Amino acid sequence: MTGRNVRIIFEREIRDQLRDRRTLMMVAVLPVLLYPLMGLSFFQISQVMRPKPSRILVLGAQELGDPPLFEEGRFAAHLFRNPEEARQLELEFYTPEKAAALGIAPEKADDDPAVAETVLRTRAFDAVLLFPPQFARRLETFREEVRRAIERLRLERSAEGEGPSGEPPLLGGAVALIVPEIPNPQIFYSTANERSTEAFRRLNDVLMQWREHVGAANLSAGGLPPQAAKPFRVLESDVAEDSGFRGAALWSKIMPILLVVWALTGAFYPAVDLCAGEKERGTLETLLSSPAERVEVVLGKLGAVMVFSMATAVLNLISMGLTGWLALGHLPMFAPPPWSVLWLIPALIPTSAVFSSLALGIAAFARSTKEGQYYLLPLLFLTLPLVGLPVARGLELTLGTSLVPITGLVLLLKALIEGEAAQAWPFVFPVAAVTLGGCYYAIRWAVLQFNNEQVLFRDADRFDLRLWLRRLFRERRDVPSPALAAACGLLILFVRFGLTHVFARWQIQADLIRLAVITQLAVIVAPVLLMTLLFARSVTRTWQLHTPSWRGMAGAILLAFLLQPAATLLQQTVTRLYPLDPLLREYLLGMTGELSNPWPIFLAFALLPAVCEETAFRGFILTGLRQGVSSRNAVVFSAILFGLSHTILQQSITAFAAGLVLGTIALVTRSLWPCIAFHAVHNSLTLGTGMLAAVLTQDWGRYESMRPGVTAIVRRLGSFSEDGFAYHPAVTVLSLLAAGWVLLWMYAPSHLRAPGDSDTEPPLEDEDE
Amino acid sequence: MVKTKNLTKYYDDPRGGTVRALDGIDFEARPGEIFGLLGPNGAGKTTTLRILSTLLRPSGGRAVVAGFDCLRQPAQVRRNIGFMSVNTAVYDRMTAWEMVEYFGLLYGWTREQLRPRMEHLFDRLKMNEIRDVPGGRMSTGMKQKVSIARALVHDPPVLIFDEPTSGLDVLVARNLLQTIRELRDQGKCIIFSTHIMREVEKLCDRVAILCRGRILTQGTPDELRRHFGEDDLEEIFFRLITEAELVRNGDGREQGERPHSHRRRGETEGTVEAPGAAPNPRTKEMRKS
Repeated sequence: MTGRNVRIIFEREIRDQLRDRRTLMMVAVLPVLLYPLMGLSFFQISQVMRPKPSRILVLGAQELGDPPLFEEGRFAAHLFRNPEEARQLELEFYTPEKAAALGIAPEKADDDPAVAETVLRTRAFDAVLLFPPQFARRLETFREEVRRAIERLRLERSAEGEGPSGEPPLLGGAVALIVPEIPNPQIFYSTANERSTEAFRRLNDVLMQWREHVGAANLSAGGLPPQAAKPFRVLESDVAEDSGFRGAALWSKIMPILLVVWALTGAFYPAVDLCAGEKERGTLETLLSSPAERVEVVLGKLGAVMVFSMATAVLNLISMGLTGWLALGHLPMFAPPPWSVLWLIPALIPTSAVFSSLALGIAAFARSTKEGQYYLLPLLFLTLPLVGLPVARGLELTLGTSLVPITGLVLLLKALIEGEAAQAWPFVFPVAAVTLGGCYYAIRWAVLQFNNEQVLFRDADRFDLRLWLRRLFRERRDVPSPALAAACGLLILFVRFGLTHVFARWQIQADLIRLAVITQLAVIVAPVLLMTLLFARSVTRTWQLHTPSWRGMAGAILLAFLLQPAATLLQQTVTRLYPLDPLLREYLLGMTGELSNPWPIFLAFALLPAVCEETAFRGFILTGLRQGVSSRNAVVFSAILFGLSHTILQQSITAFAAGLVLGTIALVTRSLWPCIAFHAVHNSLTLGTGMLAAVLTQDWGRYESMRPGVTAIVRRLGSFSEDGFAYHPAVTVLSLLAAGWVLLWMYAPSHLRAPGDSDTEPPLEDEDE
Repeated sequence: MVKTKNLTKYYDDPRGGTVRALDGIDFEARPGEIFGLLGPNGAGKTTTLRILSTLLRPSGGRAVVAGFDCLRQPAQVRRNIGFMSVNTAVYDRMTAWEMVEYFGLLYGWTREQLRPRMEHLFDRLKMNEIRDVPGGRMSTGMKQKVSIARALVHDPPVLIFDEPTSGLDVLVARNLLQTIRELRDQGKCIIFSTHIMREVEKLCDRVAILCRGRILTQGTPDELRRHFGEDDLEEIFFRLITEAELVRNGDGREQGERPHSHRRRGETEGTVEAPGAAPNPRTKEMRKS
């Protein structure tokens, strides 16, 4: 591979795209015009879109006295922070004459809530404010009472005179304060209606203010300072004001999302044009018959796509930023932070790299531009949650989150824009690693597509469902094909997803054991059984039910023990990186706490899953995958599917690791039984130690005195913490080494071969003259 | 210069089973010779040529072009061939000059080396008027010229043409065939596929007749005429094809007649075997060369 060819192809593609008027329009002209136009129309529309005033019907407000609530037919202006806001509430005071017009029976008006409902339903008003009949009077009475009570206290005090030290004597006896029951004013509104909710909010604010005034007036009536109720004010001071990061909160959310969206869109159309478009126009064959290697072609095109992705993103961001600055800059809360936005520029390269390589891979796979363009929407759907979630839910940038593709990148950008460069700095490494890893695999996949004859030269085939299914059944071989294996995996995931929601929806409460059994049978066994019976001829070969060597069995069981410390370490690391939801944690801990009758638990959580999941993932799926990809990749893919089939993220990761080990055992021993053994023993150990740890941490002292020998051994192995039992690092390392040795010992002398290989097409003849 | 031995190619048929696009193709073409592949649609001509130009990988057998193995040394093969097919179009937004230069660069030449070569080529092919015309505005004839120039720019010893006159009008096709003849006279090895008999008669030094992935017969036109006792090549062609189809449908199994001549290296005339002898190309006899 030479860089020269890559450069030649890259230059040609760029030149070609630049000559395409449509591309230039999309990339250059559209953003430059779009945002100013949007800003302009936003401005125009905002003229029309003034906030409408709320219409309130007020019942029973006739006798309200001091302090005044109403003033000239509206709420008193001094109750609002901004006097103009009083205009936002238009009041209509109920009088009996209006009853007919409003459709209310006059005698009911004062105290029947149903009346308010009727009025609201007619939508003539946004909210109804009801003062009960006795409200004003009781308020007055209350104030009188307060005044009298304080008066009495004063008289008592002056009557008793001053004490020896010159201070007023202590008050004797409780002062009885007759507090009349004050009926509460009521606001009627409807959350189904946005205007009504808005009206409620405004009304609530006003009335709260008025309540404070009433309270202050009560105190004054008794001769006490009104400040007694409000002894202090809370001051606020916005630090962002000084450092210029005012609008950071808003823009740090918007800009990364836009960067990602524009990088993706800007990459997608050129990619489709450069790959699928070439296929359609017939120039691909010419290019492929030139000395340029497929890798060079892919890299040259990738470069061109990246340029356009970056150009699109940059132009859009600049245009949007300028428009935002001009249009919203005068609103101090929304001003975009000026310099920290420059972080977007270095972020541009990895972002566009990853999306360009993704887009190129997909475009290389598509057989026509039409097909290629259909893939954009699913890609967006997959990417947007990864982009939107961190911003919406307020995820933090931690080691765990920085390892998630795209999400980590967005979180990092967000932190940088908000001005936290110093704290965000160390996370650049995991984010870069994950992003670059993604690019690498995407490029590899694109090269694979460019080497795939079926993708390059086949036209779209006509699809007939019946024929296809019949063919699948008729032509089934001993073992399933890779596609069937993948389909089985997906089916399991679907059923799992469906079942979780069915349980939630119908709130099926069964005890844990029963739930686990049902899940295993329905989610795992049913799909696998169905597909094996329909699409494979040989159950033995599909499920690898050959008798294993004693070495294999013994080795697998040994491995389960030896890998326990490493597994525990992994689990605790995962829980540290991605902490469990506290409720979930309680639930899971509670599950392992029952020691009364452990046997059903072991059957349901160790033995049954071992049999079912191994049959599925190391049986049907692994065997099928090995017909198409290398054994190593087959193990990885089956482990991924295995991990995904667990609903809890933390479990998924540990399951993936376990899946890798199990796959390796399946390959090495060429049988399913050692895998089942490993799985069962491993689950039992985890459960057992979990249960023991739960018991022992509570009762450690007592246990220690009872069995000093055992506890001494346990102490040697590790220590208890709130995460559970942790093995000493030395123990973990030693056991890992031992496990590696056992694995080598299990490795059969003949090289690894998938049973059932003979079903492939005649191999390439190698005739040497 | 170009040699295939028992070349086979299988596909998975989406409707079930496998398609044998090529089922044991053997032929040889030498420099200064135009070798024609003749056959109906679906015979395997395009597949053979795509394998020779390394666009496809053979399922079995071997193909050697200019001394390089197509499967194991594809890059070398590509450097030594010029490939033109119905599907090798021109880029819409590139001018003729740019396009030929682009491929010249990919073949490893520098701009300075390319310039005199391209001047010469454009002169010879009378392309100077269309130097700056973008592909989208070219007529079919012009596009064809650009494709030829593109295939010739690096002066390859082997040229592979897949139905090059398809869709061309009579005059342009005639010019093209003339050019091909001139190239042959320069000593290039040319493989040429078509389903038009007249081209075979006028152009090909030797020809192989394909049907359903097999060579039914091969040799010079004269040889074929003598062998089949028929002056009209078209008649020979139809007879062979129909017989092959009958045998296939009759038995339900594929069993084409396989009389063919095999020219061994160093011999001037091929031995013609009697029809019905059906020698198996997989026998060791052939390996003597």
